[in-house]
Amino acid sequence: MARFLLRRFALALVTLFILSVLIFTASQLLPGDIGRNVLGPFASTHDVQMLDQQLGVDRPLYVQYIDWVWKFVRGNLGTSLEYQVPVATLLGPSLINSLKLAAVAFALVVPLSIVGGVYAALRRGRLPDRVITLTGLSLTAVPEFISAIVLILIFGVLLKWLPVTAAFPVDADFFTQVYHLLLPGMALVFVLFGYIARMARTGTIDALESDYTRTAYLKGLPTPTVIRRHVLRNSLLPTIAVIATQMGYLIGGLVVIEKLFNYNGIGQRIYTAAQNKDFTMLQSGVLVVGLVYLTATLIADILYSLLNPRIRYAGVE
Amino acid sequence: MDPELRRRFDEIRRRGPIQRTLLDEFFDVKYDRREFIRRATIFGLSASAIGGVLAMAGCGPSSTTTTGPKQGGRLRLGIIPPPVHTIEPHTFAEQGALETGSVCGEFLIRATANLKLVPELATSWTPNADASTWTVKLRSGVKFQNGQAMTADDVIATFKRLVSPDTGSQALSAFKGVLKPTGVTKTDDLTVTFNLDNANASFPYLLSSTTYQAIILPANYQVVTSGPTSFTTTPQCTGAFKLVSYTPGVGAKYDRYTGWWGGQAPLDGVDATYYTDAAAADAALLGGTLDLLGQIQLGTDRALFNNPAVQVFSAHGATHRQVPMRVDLNNPFKDAKVRQAVALTLDRPAIVNTLFTSFADIGNDTPWAPVYPSTVGAPDVPQRKQDITMAKQLMSTAGYANGFAITLTTEQTGEIPQLAQIIQSAVKAINIDMKLDIQTATAYFDGTQIGPPSGWGNTPWLNAPINITDWGHRSVPNVFLTSALSTGAVWNAAHYSNPDFDAAAKSFVAAISLTDQQKYAKIAENILLADTPVIFPYFYNYLAAGAKNVKGYDADPLGTVYLSKTSLG
Repeated sequence: MARFLLRRFALALVTLFILSVLIFTASQLLPGDIGRNVLGPFASTHDVQMLDQQLGVDRPLYVQYIDWVWKFVRGNLGTSLEYQVPVATLLGPSLINSLKLAAVAFALVVPLSIVGGVYAALRRGRLPDRVITLTGLSLTAVPEFISAIVLILIFGVLLKWLPVTAAFPVDADFFTQVYHLLLPGMALVFVLFGYIARMARTGTIDALESDYTRTAYLKGLPTPTVIRRHVLRNSLLPTIAVIATQMGYLIGGLVVIEKLFNYNGIGQRIYTAAQNKDFTMLQSGVLVVGLVYLTATLIADILYSLLNPRIRYAGVE
Repeated sequence: MDPELRRRFDEIRRRGPIQRTLLDEFFDVKYDRREFIRRATIFGLSASAIGGVLAMAGCGPSSTTTTGPKQGGRLRLGIIPPPVHTIEPHTFAEQGALETGSVCGEFLIRATANLKLVPELATSWTPNADASTWTVKLRSGVKFQNGQAMTADDVIATFKRLVSPDTGSQALSAFKGVLKPTGVTKTDDLTVTFNLDNANASFPYLLSSTTYQAIILPANYQVVTSGPTSFTTTPQCTGAFKLVSYTPGVGAKYDRYTGWWGGQAPLDGVDATYYTDAAAADAALLGGTLDLLGQIQLGTDRALFNNPAVQVFSAHGATHRQVPMRVDLNNPFKDAKVRQAVALTLDRPAIVNTLFTSFADIGNDTPWAPVYPSTVGAPDVPQRKQDITMAKQLMSTAGYANGFAITLTTEQTGEIPQLAQIIQSAVKAINIDMKLDIQTATAYFDGTQIGPPSGWGNTPWLNAPINITDWGHRSVPNVFLTSALSTGAVWNAAHYSNPDFDAAAKSFVAAISLTDQQKYAKIAENILLADTPVIFPYFYNYLAAGAKNVKGYDADPLGTVYLSKTSLG
């Protein structure tokens, strides 16, 4: 297992390296001179060149790349070109906010969709199955900016049960924060429920039809025990993988949701940085999201291996 | 007439030719009471003098009864879009930053919605005989939020920074040809003298909140070039609220400043939140998470109009879009007849109705908006109306009966893309095949604005053959004349040059009496109609929205948010 994890870790590092090269090249392709962008249209060419030199953007690309990565590794994310403050002071709180929203969304969607999916599988072909599958599918098909607005209108504007902005006060306690994040969390449940529930349903059906489940029944185990010990353990494996891959979307990909709920998350930060050509923020932001994503998949791999003996023991061979 | 009143009347007339003209014009019934007050405030007549003159003319002072505003509470303000770049007043160039700064910052003079000037940190401002030198008396007892007393030195330092070419000041264009750093001098601790490059009868507007970069800051104010600005880290304005925290892209917090010269503001404080999305801001206002939205647009905030839970604050203004056509490129727009023809294809009342319902005035291809008293307009200057027959005739006289193809370049801002589509479909009537190149605002304003290749750098907004650009409100049309239409002007996107127009514009800016201003405005308006370097389709109102319990708030056409007298209920 150690070998398996080590291999996974090495793979993650390679992925990170490729990602960093991609971001770096992509942001070089964005039009516009950095110095000109910072100093504005009325600055003289001389001043622009001076600033470019000061920022080091006139150096060869590979030098800039190594410099950037080396600083990033040591925790120096650079200075935001737009706001003239260290990127970390802006990205840090945004990342924490994103993690909080992701946590609330997870807490809502994971139990709900797993229970839904398993229940649908157990009632396969009957009314509950049809209702769960169809609802999930329809919700996934609706773009999040529509479902989010509908949720805002119903719960925020008409019923006034939940706050329409996710931005909680700075000194808010845990429950106030969760209260503010419920509505965007629900919007994310709409997006993810159908997908995860479907995975859970398919996994459960496969497990129910398998030989070992039949054996378990045949040796006289009660249904709840069969489900808990034999079915779920196998059926949830693919579901965990799916949930992990959604981390990248939940952290960094929620531009629309963050915009609609005016939430200072990392997705919005990166989006604004791209719009305003804030290269340092853009590059570091994307790399941070990449880091979070890879960490999440790594954790998923560990979980997967813990649940799946075939992987757990594969390393021993 | 009462001998005491007569004595005061003569005393005001004796002060100088400007005051004499003002009073004589008023008594010749050239303008009404409101316009007299507006003009009297420009030339710095005191409130008691204005009251005296009005009493002589038989219009008594209008009295308003006010019940005390509710004390306390924090107002939740929504600002859209968030400030780009740092919060540094003299570099303010966009809505988010100026709204953020204006909650705590104050000006020498405040321009209010009806174009009236109200004393703020200045108590009076008086011109010399030809309005080339202005003496400004400052309010005594004003304390900055860092405890320092405000004196002439602080005002001088602020204005020197605004008119110096090397500070990155965004007010430079407004002061160009009007004031140099050496023109700002100290007379005594509470008196500043402005020696202008040229006579300028509207100069007090430049000292006012119209120049929204002119927030008065201490003489020892530190301009920080990297890291958070000292404006956001140390409260040092003079206003009723002090900025206590600022998070880029997220929001700002203000607390009541107890040492404010104006007494105690009704609100305990202000919490500003930045929004990037209009729908989110609208939902927040409707859902009760916000009390006030600093600016709303008809195009994007439809949900707030005709909504019983919302009050819309509307201010007549001169905010507009300009459609400049390059007069110096080797394409059909070189011919004034073609430019006229394009302008004649537009059905302006229909455009205004589509885009703004009742919240806009129709433009006449000059910067003289209906809101300005100096505007001549119809019938002396004919109002341009849709006339396809005439447009076709002009096109065939110019040799383009079969039309031509051209690309209109513009920005993704407000209703501009819709306007671009309206123009695109309107010019089909004269066989012009118009393509649209709608860019992000960032890309549209990107590039250089001075120097080669065209003299106006390479930025799309000053160099495209035909484009649409957003322009803010000004209390007088002077900046539009000197910066957008005069020969060689910094923002002359049409690259227009006509010595007759330049002369008329210059005389207009220097003219002191309304009669003279209108005389030159008429000449200039007619020249612009004939040359049509720029189409001015409409001037729209500045709109803000608030919850029903917001009291004592007025929208400002320039976009500043003044909350010192606002209360919640």
